[in-house]
Amino acid sequence: MFRFTITLLLLTLTSLSGCSNFGVQPWERDVLAQKKMQLDPYPVDTYLDEHIYTSREASSGGRGIGGGGCGCN
Amino acid sequence: MQLKKPKSIRSALAVATCSMLSGVSHHALAESTPWEIDTALLYYGESDADNSRVTVVEPVIRARKEIADDEFLTFRFVFDSLTGASANGAIPQSTPQTFTSPSGDATYTTSANQTPLDPTFHDSRGAINAEWELPLSRLTKGIFSANFSKEFDYTSMGLAATLSRDFNNRNTTLSGGLSYNADTVSPVGGAPAGLTPMPTTTAIKKTTIGSDQDKNEADLLLGVTQVINRHTLMQLNFTYGMDDGYLTDPYKILSVVDNTGTLVGTDPYLFEKRPDSRARQAIYWKTVHQFSEDVLNVSYRYYWDDWGIASHTLDLKYRAELGRGHYLEPHLRYYSQSKVDFYYYALPDGTSPDYASADYRLADLDATTIGLKYGITRDENSELAIRAERYTQSSGGDAPFPDVNANIIQLNYSLNF
Amino acid sequence: MKQIVLYPRVLGAILVFVTTVVTAFAAPAPDFELPTKTGSVSLQSLRGQVVYVDFWASWCKPCRKSFPWMNALQVKYGDKGLQIVAVNVDSDLEQVKRFLEKYPADFVVAYDAEGKVASLYQVKGMPSSYLIDKQGNIHAQHIGFREEDKASVESQIKQLLQN
Repeated sequence: MFRFTITLLLLTLTSLSGCSNFGVQPWERDVLAQKKMQLDPYPVDTYLDEHIYTSREASSGGRGIGGGGCGCN
Repeated sequence: MQLKKPKSIRSALAVATCSMLSGVSHHALAESTPWEIDTALLYYGESDADNSRVTVVEPVIRARKEIADDEFLTFRFVFDSLTGASANGAIPQSTPQTFTSPSGDATYTTSANQTPLDPTFHDSRGAINAEWELPLSRLTKGIFSANFSKEFDYTSMGLAATLSRDFNNRNTTLSGGLSYNADTVSPVGGAPAGLTPMPTTTAIKKTTIGSDQDKNEADLLLGVTQVINRHTLMQLNFTYGMDDGYLTDPYKILSVVDNTGTLVGTDPYLFEKRPDSRARQAIYWKTVHQFSEDVLNVSYRYYWDDWGIASHTLDLKYRAELGRGHYLEPHLRYYSQSKVDFYYYALPDGTSPDYASADYRLADLDATTIGLKYGITRDENSELAIRAERYTQSSGGDAPFPDVNANIIQLNYSLNF
Repeated sequence: MKQIVLYPRVLGAILVFVTTVVTAFAAPAPDFELPTKTGSVSLQSLRGQVVYVDFWASWCKPCRKSFPWMNALQVKYGDKGLQIVAVNVDSDLEQVKRFLEKYPADFVVAYDAEGKVASLYQVKGMPSSYLIDKQGNIHAQHIGFREEDKASVESQIKQLLQN
């Protein structure tokens, strides 16, 4: 299982290296800068949902941090 | 005329940047930056066909402020109050059943042909979380956090650190994070020894293995976020976690039954026992896409662990802008999990497994959430929203435990001042 | 050929500007002509003045802090030969209007909605600023706006105004 996980992770990361073909110029981030386009625009909602689901189901984790946005500074 | 950067400039820049990093000092912001305050109140009310179950009321307040260039402090305070009853793991019988409360000083009796619920559940919990976000270089950011929560029978403390770095003109972000939580469970009446009988009268006390039980959780997160185009953003995360220590629910039991499902023996209820370690993984993929003004948010998570759980979670949100800052956001969530290896609906008489649990939350389970959120963004400094959801859980396999439904209502108010 | 001339100049610049993230090289600033509220502005016509070109947008949060500071600079050094040209890259002019109502500009604001000039200047992040000397060369460029960099940028402007 562990070997499968590592293989899957490496495959995903190598395929994502082609991601340098995607993207926008720094001055084209108007849409991405909006609050509703963030990965976690309502952290309080996310916290409450996670609290409900991790206490009512057997799974946990997954969500992450960072990226997107206006790319400023 | 195109600007060209000779190679020597690039290496000189690296030198300059490194010396800048070592000499950087924090300058407090000359003009005051606003406080971003988010408040919410959650109501969660659960029930099955026969009885109402757990009710939770949970206020949350979150405050965030920029204290220096791109450096933020965030605090979150949560208080939740839980009342009501929760399934204790025993299965319905054709006659009423009597159980002892966790303290062993009282008993409660449940009705015939109904899933037994333990009505002694009432607990209050307070939790605090502090987070410090700061730039470590122009393209690197660090987020460090600490959390603490306390309830009657449970204390939890944790630390987390995440680093993220941008590439490709900030179109790609790689993140890596670690977190560690140390918890202490102090069950009412002491922690029962796993797979020992639950007394049915107050005359006998349960066999305990001690009062305070420790458990700890370590998590590793690796993630990549990628801007796809002007309207689309994607994230892919992998998390790996390890739990160690007392992972059993001290208040849950199993019914010991014969092949007709009838209780058998003088000690027909046994306290559950779960393994003392758990290794879990999750892969999570999320896409955010804007159509004119509306936003679609789709995510999928695949989770699996060494207890036997494999689950799929699909979450869809569509934010429809109604104009003048009003929006409506329907929400759909599908969840499906396969049971843990040691799940029993009821324990057949004569079996002596190493581990056993009848907690339906570890069984083959399907759950659906359907909800709607209505919000008003007056300007970017204040927002009011209300959301109502219906959460339904049902057996995804052979175990005939009842459907559990919950109503969720949440009020939000955010203000920047 | 250019590299040999640049090398000692770059080392000298690094010594002076070691506390800021700045690339220093003497390359002529690409000329541009962009519409403004009242007409147009061309970089060529500003030769002989010290020009501070700032690429900004209504959605760029640090720009809310940079505008009051640029106003102060324009007032303080305007009659000594400084001209600030803030190049806006928004595609929605409604947002620009709203931003300028909250954070008014006492300097020239030019409109580059298609990002042609931003592309010409190879803007790497928002906001980006280019300090151009009296001879029309880029003296320094800066990605982002930070409180801690304000003092050093101002002293660079003062130095260029004296040349």
